[in-house]
Amino acid sequence: MLEINNLHARINDGREILKGVDLAVKAGEVHAIMGPNGSGKSTLAGVLSGKPGYEVTEGQVLYCGRDLLAMAADERARDGVFLAFQYPVEIPGVNNMYFLRAALNAARKQRGESAMDAGQFLKAVRAKLKLLEIGEDLLQRGVNVGFSGGEKKRNEIFQMAMLEPRLAILDETDSGLDIDALQTVARGINALRGPERAIVMITHYQRLLDHVVPDRVHVLSGGRIVKSGGKELALELEQTGYGAYGDAA
Amino acid sequence: MSALAEIQPYIEAFKARAQAGEPDWLWHRREGAMQRFAELGFPTRKQEAWRFTDLRPLQRVAFPPAIAVAQATTDDIALWRFKGETYRIVLVDGAFVPALSAIDDLPTGAWLASTAQTLREWPELLDPAVRETDTVGAQPFAALNAALFTDGFVLALQPGVALDRTIEVIHLGRAANRSSQLRNVILLGPNSRATVIESYAGTGAYWTNAVGVIGVGAGAALRHVKLQDEDTAAIHLGQHRVDLGCNARYESFTLSLGGRLARNETHLKLDGEGAACGLFGATLLRGEQEGTIATVVDHAAPGCTTREYFKSVADDRAHGVFLGTIGVRPQAQKTDANQLSKNLLLSRRAAVDTKPELEILADDVKCSHGATVGDLDETALFYLESRGITVAEARRILIEAFAAEVIERLEDDADLRAHLGRHVARWLAAGDSR
Ligand SMILES: Nc1ncnc2c1ncn2[C@@H]1O[C@H](COP(=O)(O)OP(=O)(O)O)[C@@H](O)[C@H]1O
Ligand SMILES: [Mg+2]
Repeated sequence: MLEINNLHARINDGREILKGVDLAVKAGEVHAIMGPNGSGKSTLAGVLSGKPGYEVTEGQVLYCGRDLLAMAADERARDGVFLAFQYPVEIPGVNNMYFLRAALNAARKQRGESAMDAGQFLKAVRAKLKLLEIGEDLLQRGVNVGFSGGEKKRNEIFQMAMLEPRLAILDETDSGLDIDALQTVARGINALRGPERAIVMITHYQRLLDHVVPDRVHVLSGGRIVKSGGKELALELEQTGYGAYGDAA
Repeated sequence: MSALAEIQPYIEAFKARAQAGEPDWLWHRREGAMQRFAELGFPTRKQEAWRFTDLRPLQRVAFPPAIAVAQATTDDIALWRFKGETYRIVLVDGAFVPALSAIDDLPTGAWLASTAQTLREWPELLDPAVRETDTVGAQPFAALNAALFTDGFVLALQPGVALDRTIEVIHLGRAANRSSQLRNVILLGPNSRATVIESYAGTGAYWTNAVGVIGVGAGAALRHVKLQDEDTAAIHLGQHRVDLGCNARYESFTLSLGGRLARNETHLKLDGEGAACGLFGATLLRGEQEGTIATVVDHAAPGCTTREYFKSVADDRAHGVFLGTIGVRPQAQKTDANQLSKNLLLSRRAAVDTKPELEILADDVKCSHGATVGDLDETALFYLESRGITVAEARRILIEAFAAEVIERLEDDADLRAHLGRHVARWLAAGDSR
């Protein structure tokens, strides 16, 4: 589903952050990308989702056989790419529910489906809210406005559950969550696992992986994948730390 | 046109007028006003209050008062109708249209009629509304209006009267190169209350020059909405002159969408202890539009409050202006005033000028002001796009939210907020279909 070949990317100040990333994720798989702070994990997520501010200087990304980097951010999303933000954005004045419906209908329109009516929409929303233990009142607020850290992260997974992407990239969705919230979020992610879907979890810690067991684990360091392995690699990292894989720079 | 040539058509128009049964006092004031206008002429950019305003569209051609009454139907006003039952005054090209209006079954103690009818039946009511200030102040358009007005609307409430319905006033401009000189009056007796929505719309290159004289008596409350939705070829100059008594409340919202050149002015005097005003508004501009909000607030009594919040959005080559003056006189201790202007520039060629001005002559006061100019939040845009929302839709959503945030200030009136929200959405949709 996702094939990254020799991806190099730099940020506005000219610094190269990704220095030849190679990664292949098949449908049905869950991959974890781990690595020290500043190693380029969010940069990778940003480049894949089309966030402005990065320049790809070399390499290629194929998504379901298409050139992902040639697609605009909104087009990628409508085509099934989802990014759960490390830092979800607050948008005052834009009602959460309205936002979600606009997003959902944008994807439906792309697929040639009619817009969801209010009844259908509400039914779908209620089921997913329950799964993620989010209060309905949160939906009446501005997008992420006044949400606690944990609520923001749960809202990301809630959006993912509503949008049902083919490729989900979760950037540190586990950070800042207490154990209950972590379990809730993990339940949300697990509910989405399926043969048609690929999930890339970016995380700094092993603990999310106790609840969402990955098929593959990769270590990103210094802008490259320096090691890959099975789920046991995460446990190993927990013991030894990232020291063995060099600094972020 | 030379300075003399450009005012000549208006002088001629006045000469051609007959006193037509109007009381002598009014006629004398009209003469004085006309004289004053002739002395002042059109404002120039050398005058501080007009520094940012390009009046050339008004100066290139003459706009003598409209005469022929154009036909209008209920369909023509449908877009601006407020939901539910209202008392309604409709004017077309500056003249009252009874067939489209609804002013029957008013409660006792309430007068709502056209200005022309009021002049015939109760001219004294106009006395405080056409004053020497029209003629001596450096406001030529108010003076011109005083000389030439024939119609408008008058609302007067006796003490304690609270209207059960919203009053809506809809003015349509139709006659190209003609002006509508409207004189509107709202006089609320002590402890009375009302909500008034004025909407200005039309088709063509006409000029609307509206002056509203408003008095809110002790303990009375007026909520006053103005929707300026003129044709983008039209010119709109409107001013509200407001006087507040003890503990009076005045809350206004100006939504300014139309006009090639539009200027919405409020001159407000807090004249009784404990009076409070809230002046809010949003101006949305695109193309070559120029839109000005000008407020002059005069704290003349102690313990009064002012809340001002205006937003503007300018796209393409549009130009927005905010002029906000708050004066606090020596006796106006315990004044609590703040003013905020936030502006959004959507294109590199759009521009905004903001000029806050505080003149504080009392020492025990709380006054603040602020102004921001920025563009759409990139991180918010990307967040929306990352969920599949197109760039155009994402921008629309964020602009709508920007305007909604100030509409929210009409806290306790959901219908009014929805009404204004619909017009904002309509403006945005009109941009998408270009
Ligand atoms: N938009 C940006 N502007 C400036 N520096 C950035 C930007 N994005 C990333 N960086 C820098 O790139 C490096 C990698 O950051 P990031 O991808 O966020 O790492 P990680 O997510 O692995 O902690 C860091 O040195 C960070 O400061
Ligand atoms: Mg990161």
